[in-house]
This record gives sequence, C-alpha cells and structure tokens, in this order.
Amino acid sequence: MIDPAERQKMLQEVAPGPRSTIVWIAALALAALPLVISVPLATEILIWGISGLGFNLLLGYTGVLSFGHAAYFGLGAYSAGLALRYWKVGLFASLAIGIVSAMLLACFIGALAIRRRGVYFAMISLAFAQMLYFIALSPLKEITRGEDGLTHIPSVAFFSIPLDKPRNLYYFVLAVTVLMLYLTWRVLQSPFGKVLEAYRENEDRARACGYNTTLVKFTSLVLSALFGGLAGALNTLYLSYVPLTTLYWLTSGTIVMMTILGGKGTLLGPLVGAGVFLFLQNTISLYTPRWEAFVGSLFVIIILVFPGGIVGTIREKYMNRKMSKLQHRAAGAGE
Amino acid sequence: MFADLSWDVLVMQLFFGLALGSIYVLLASGLSIIYGLLDVVNFAHGTFAMLGAYAVFLAVTLTGSFAVGIASAVVVVAVLGMAAEFVLLKPLYGKDPLLPLLLTFGLSVAIPDFMKIIFGLIGKPVSYPEALSGATTLGPLTFSNYRLFVIFFTLAILISLWLFLKKSDLGMIIRAATRDNLMVQVLGINTSRIWSIGFAIGIGLAALAGAISVPMMAATPDMGVEMTMVAFVVTVVGGLGSLGGAIVGGLLIGVIVAFTSLFAGEYSNVAMYFCMAVILLIRPRGLFGERGRE
Repeated sequence: MIDPAERQKMLQEVAPGPRSTIVWIAALALAALPLVISVPLATEILIWGISGLGFNLLLGYTGVLSFGHAAYFGLGAYSAGLALRYWKVGLFASLAIGIVSAMLLACFIGALAIRRRGVYFAMISLAFAQMLYFIALSPLKEITRGEDGLTHIPSVAFFSIPLDKPRNLYYFVLAVTVLMLYLTWRVLQSPFGKVLEAYRENEDRARACGYNTTLVKFTSLVLSALFGGLAGALNTLYLSYVPLTTLYWLTSGTIVMMTILGGKGTLLGPLVGAGVFLFLQNTISLYTPRWEAFVGSLFVIIILVFPGGIVGTIREKYMNRKMSKLQHRAAGAGE
Repeated sequence: MFADLSWDVLVMQLFFGLALGSIYVLLASGLSIIYGLLDVVNFAHGTFAMLGAYAVFLAVTLTGSFAVGIASAVVVVAVLGMAAEFVLLKPLYGKDPLLPLLLTFGLSVAIPDFMKIIFGLIGKPVSYPEALSGATTLGPLTFSNYRLFVIFFTLAILISLWLFLKKSDLGMIIRAATRDNLMVQVLGINTSRIWSIGFAIGIGLAALAGAISVPMMAATPDMGVEMTMVAFVVTVVGGLGSLGGAIVGGLLIGVIVAFTSLFAGEYSNVAMYFCMAVILLIRPRGLFGERGRE
C-alpha cells in the first residue's frame, strides 16, 4: 500500500490548483504579443479578455449563465465615456466610474433575478441588457447620441504618459489585465472561491453546509460586473468612442462564445478564447463580412465536441496522461 | 396631449395590440411546449420564426398563394427543427442543462448570416393576400382585415392545439411526458420520439408566427433575435412552461407595446422589458408559473 503522505502528494500532482507562476508566465507571453500581431488587435484581445475573466468567474466557477454581460460592458463604456466627455475627468476617475456603475447595475439585476433558476436567469439577464440597449437608442438619445454612438471623447494620460499612442495604451491595458488575472487567481484560491465551486458542484449541499447560496451567487455576479465595467471603460479609452453596439445582445454573445471557446472554468481560458476568437474574426473579415456564420457554426461544434474549450480539453488530456502514469507507479509500488 | 384622445383611438390601439400579441402568443407557446417537454430553452426560437418568414416569401413567389405559403412554411421549418433536434440537441440530453441553450444560441448567431449570404441584407416583403387586404368598417372604427385574420387565425390554432393536447392520445402522452418523463418511459412509450414530435410542434408554432407576421413587416435576417427576445419576455411574464401564461402574457405584452407606441413612441421598445421587471418584483414566478419551477 501507499502511505498517506505519498498519496497526498500524488493527489496534489493529479489535480493541482493553478499556481501563481501561471499568472506571471501569462503576463510575459502577453507582453510579447505585439511582436506577433498588430498592437490594436492585441489591445482588443486584452480588453475582451478582462470581461471574459469576469464572465468566467460567474459561468465557469459559479455555474451561473448570464446572457446579459453587454449590460455591464456597455454601461461601463458609456458611463466612462460620458464622464470623460462632459465632466473632463482623468484616467482613474473614468475607470472608477465605469466600474461602479456596472456594479450598481449588477446589484439591481441581481436583486431582481439572482434567485431564479439557471435558464430563467439567463433569459432575464438577456432581457435587461436589451432594455438598456433600447434606452440608450432612443429615450436617452440626447445624452448618448443614439445610433451614432458617443463621439468626441478626449484622450487621457497615465500621469505624464499620453495614452493616445497605441503602444502606450497597450502596456497600460496589459498592466490592468495582469492585475485582474492576479485578482481572479487570488479569489479562486480564497475560501470564497472554494464556496463558489461548491455552489457550482451542488447547490443543495452547499446550502446544507450553511452557506447563503443566494449571497454567493449575488457576490459572484457583482464581482463579474466589476470586470465587465472595467473592460467597457478600457474599450472607451481604446476607441475614443462608444458605439451603440457595446450594449447589443451580440456583445453578450461574443463574451459567452469567447469564454467557452477558450475553456470555461479554467484560469487562462477567457484570455485564450478572446485571442483565438478575435484573431479568427479579423482574419475572416479580410475575405468576407459574414464572419458570424463561421464563428457561430464553430461555436456549435465546440459545444457538441469539446465543451471544455481549448484550455479545458488540453488540461483534460494532460490529466489523463498523468493519471495513467500515476496508476502505473501505484501498481509498481503495490507489488 | 390627451385632449384629442377619443375612445375610437383607444379601441383601435387595443386592436393593434391584440394582433401583435397574437403573434407573441404563438411564439411563446411554442417556446413553452419545448421547455416543458425537453427542458430546453430554445434560443434559436426566433431564428426558426425567421426561417418561416423566408419560407412564406419563397412559396408566395413561386406559387403566388399565401395559404400554400403558410402551410409549407410550417411543414418545412418543423422538419428542419426536427432534424436539428436529432443531430444537435440529442447528444446533449442528460448533460449540463445550460448546454442546449448555448448550442441554440450558436445557431441564432450563424443561421441569420447564412440567410444574408443567400438572400442578401435587404428584407423580403410579401404583400397582403388579396382576400385579406382592405378593411372592415364598424361604425366609426376601421379594422384592417389582415389583422383581424391574425387574431382569429391564432385563436383557431390555439383551440386546435388545446383539443390536440386534451383529447388525442398523442396529446395525452405529450402532457404526461411533460409532467413525468421517466414514468411514461416505464409504461413502454418511446419518449425520445415524443420529444421529437413536441419539438417539431413548438418549432412549427414559431414558424407560423414568423409566417403570418411577414405581410406586416417583411422578412429580414435579423428579425429572429428580436422574436426570441419577445418570446423570452412573454415567457418570464407568463411563467416558464405554462401555456396559459404564454397566452395571457403574449396578449398583455402586445397591448402594452401598442399603447406605449401611442403615448410615448420612443419608449415602445423599452416598455415590455420594464413590464417584465415589474412582474419579477411583484410575482417572481410569472403570472401562471408553478411554484418551484422558477
């Protein structure tokens, strides 16, 4: 027989929690990204990756599907844009305004709908995002400029470094991305992160253990909106413009598709997914404007064949190999 | 603003709302039947309605008969739906309940784009069938014949659906499988076939909704998601999985949309979502939702 200490070590080897080195390796890889692809595309990947990180916290780790993340992304984008345009605020104030407004919206939607069952919540969150889209489209046209989108957004500077140069902006967004990736990793390592996973695995059991599961879901939603609002605000800085499509249902859908493509419930999945998705979208757009047909079909195939996504499938393959190796060793030790 | 309002205007708007609501009822009842039976929230519901709209356009262009158009739209799209269920949804049963929702979402992204490739970006109009164009005058009021047709046609469809579910053997099996699928299986009935039939009926209702709405608003590739959205809102208002809820919710939302476009035009798109938020506040499971299923 194997002694308990050995067994513990083996278990650790089979199912390791992601180590913090993953965060730093990802940071290095992302820092080199502009060498491979154009700087604007790389910036976009990071921005969508951030909102994917938040979405993944909700779908991948808590098991709650929101089809309305455009609401947080778009509200973050609009409120940061409005603050920059009308109040002439600085960089950090605009980001903070984007984040806070998205989190407040999440509190509102969460209070109304978070108790509902999974599919119900998905439908309701989609509907609320669509409501925001139509509000920005016509009743608030005077402020949001309706279909034209919000233009004339002044550029900002990080202390004395102007962020209207693409490369400067990229490295600023990179710093934010690494910070958010680290934050995600910390949350997942914390007791709260474990409760999230407990909820995903078995709601009744988590409740029986004495956890307030409604509060867990609610907190996860609000935290997820923090990422969405931040990504939206960064998108405003990147474009110097807020298109109405930031609130459109396809924006929610894009976040969903990216995260699942990369691998829900994996730390790096959303970033990988955003990268592959946007790279495909950019490449296909060179040949035809009908990239949705291709990406939508790809998504259907992913759901059918690789529901774990890119990172999830690789991880599973790796685990299986490791497991069979360990079983081999255990069999050897048993003799 | 309210000074020039007369009862005539209000009655006319109510009539518009009921016609619009009839289409919503068809959409939402299909969604409800599918959810009740298969536990699948069909994100591509409006997409199938859009396919129904294009099928009418094609059939009317080819044969010139609107009746043939509606019939062929329902049959063709229901068969397409059945094929989609067999190939795409069947492998996902028994897995994570969110997967079918995600898969049908993928369809609703891809299919409109394929339609754009085939039919182009511009909407395809179908004119009112001759027998139904024109209007009926009743005292000071004028009702468009086509909208009257929409209301009574929906009523006829709902009555036959009700008779089918209540009186026929197959309808009884469908109701039983909605309540307890395992028990029906134990009785020796092939429920996977029942599920296919139920899915086809739900999709057929969606195709019908798309088909009869074409003369009022042309077939466009992007109409699908709007219709899915309406079906979702009506379902949340009426209660998921409840046919009565779909009927009352659909008519209610139709009338609310019609009246807001009269009184506050720019809020007409926002009104139904606002109504949904109010319902969620005062009665979270929807008007007719069963407790525990929300």
